[in-house]
Amino acid sequence: RTSTFPTPSSQEKVWKMMNSSLLTPSSSSHVQTPATTFDHEDFLDQIFASSPWPSDEAPPPPPPSSDGFVDSRHQQIMMMPLPSHHQNEVVDGSSVHSLYNGFSAGGSLPFHIPQGTAGGMMNQQGQALTQNQPQVSASIATGGTAAAPPQSRTKVRARRGQATDPHSIAERLRRERIAERMKGLQELVPNGNKTDKASMLDEIIDYVKFLQLQVKVLSMSRLGGGASNSQISEENTSSAVAGGNQATGNSNDSLTMTEHQVAKLMEEDMGSAMQYLQGKGLCLMPISLATAISTATCHSRNTLIPGAAGGVGGHPSSPNLSGMTVQSTNKVKLSGNGVTEGSPPLVVKEAL
Amino acid sequence: MASADKPINTDVPEKDVFALHFLQSLSNLRRQNTFNSPEKTNDRVKKIKKAAYVSMARAAGGTNRLWSRALLRRAAKENNKIVRFPRRKKRVTCLRRRSNRRDPVEEEEAERLRNLVPGGGGMGTSKLMEETAHYIKCLSMQVKVMQCLVDGLAPK
Repeated sequence: RTSTFPTPSSQEKVWKMMNSSLLTPSSSSHVQTPATTFDHEDFLDQIFASSPWPSDEAPPPPPPSSDGFVDSRHQQIMMMPLPSHHQNEVVDGSSVHSLYNGFSAGGSLPFHIPQGTAGGMMNQQGQALTQNQPQVSASIATGGTAAAPPQSRTKVRARRGQATDPHSIAERLRRERIAERMKGLQELVPNGNKTDKASMLDEIIDYVKFLQLQVKVLSMSRLGGGASNSQISEENTSSAVAGGNQATGNSNDSLTMTEHQVAKLMEEDMGSAMQYLQGKGLCLMPISLATAISTATCHSRNTLIPGAAGGVGGHPSSPNLSGMTVQSTNKVKLSGNGVTEGSPPLVVKEAL
Repeated sequence: MASADKPINTDVPEKDVFALHFLQSLSNLRRQNTFNSPEKTNDRVKKIKKAAYVSMARAAGGTNRLWSRALLRRAAKENNKIVRFPRRKKRVTCLRRRSNRRDPVEEEEAERLRNLVPGGGGMGTSKLMEETAHYIKCLSMQVKVMQCLVDGLAPK
């Protein structure tokens, strides 16, 4: 029996209803051998009546009669495993079936857990689920129901008593959740095409550091006119991180920022400007040299000799300065026209 | 619950919300007497940076996000202000119910991330990722705002 699953919002409503309308936990261990095999079919038909599952069809508040009690209970029980199966979109009728076998009238065992931590469960819905499942499966084992064929796709399905180590189920669910969020993060972070989880996390960490560094530098450059050398030098260590990201997605932003920074530093003291650039992996050199190098060795990945750059960049009033990164993988040109004291308009060009 | 993760909300307000908060905080800073003294650029920079973060936290979601709450609380502590946060319906801190929640392979990275993202110490890994996503979005928005301001105010 198949059905489409309820929309998440209705599921949440269902959860809330479940948690709020939980009946007293007094009837503790009534989950036992199925004295009566009631009519599952009716339940399932009722519940999987139409697609999508409208929230109105959510279990009604438990009526006072014991039968109604059972019904709502079981309906509530029904919904628990469903959210975890949303991927497969197939209600495993037989497995759910076996769930019910463990319950007789008034069985409320699985609800102990969600009820006890109803508040926290909202945050830990997956774990509530996993907690309930082993209980259920334990009761199933006592009930001695026939095991449904385990799903081949996700191991989360295996709710049998044997392989359902509650910890492993929780682990899997947790990993699934984390993987989902990693996917979401991947789109945010530039250069997020790494499939390896560890390297993806590295990228994320670097990106966060980079953004924080940007905030810091921007707060220095604006209003701040002339950041002191000490701050810049402590930036140099962390700007190595930024250097890696510069070439990937944020090249424009960070280069503009770098320009501003360098411009301001050059107003004060050429040495500090050079230090800053070197910390970022950039250097200054005359445009002529830069163009000569770029045309001659477009594809070379040699790093520049720092000495050459240092020797040239020591003139604060030299008209034309340009810079090239010393990064091996990416070359960025930082060329300027007429660097005079006061307002240096720097032009940034990106080469290969 | 895996399916309930689908509607993870990582929406972030528009740029102007951030800009508004930031400009307000900047103008507040200007009104301070000690602000415009040219010698102490260090302090000035630090104040601006803090103002940036605080305004970002307010713009991004106020007290609805874990990281923003942690940021605001931290900032308030530095100012020796007592901030009271309204109690949320859901629990803010996740219940640590299982012993083996942490996968040792990814845990060191998660530690680093925790140190970066404000409020990361009290979160489980999956919640941490969610907060990181929102934090990244807000940070990039804030950076854009500040960059626009810098460009607008840059001397020609």
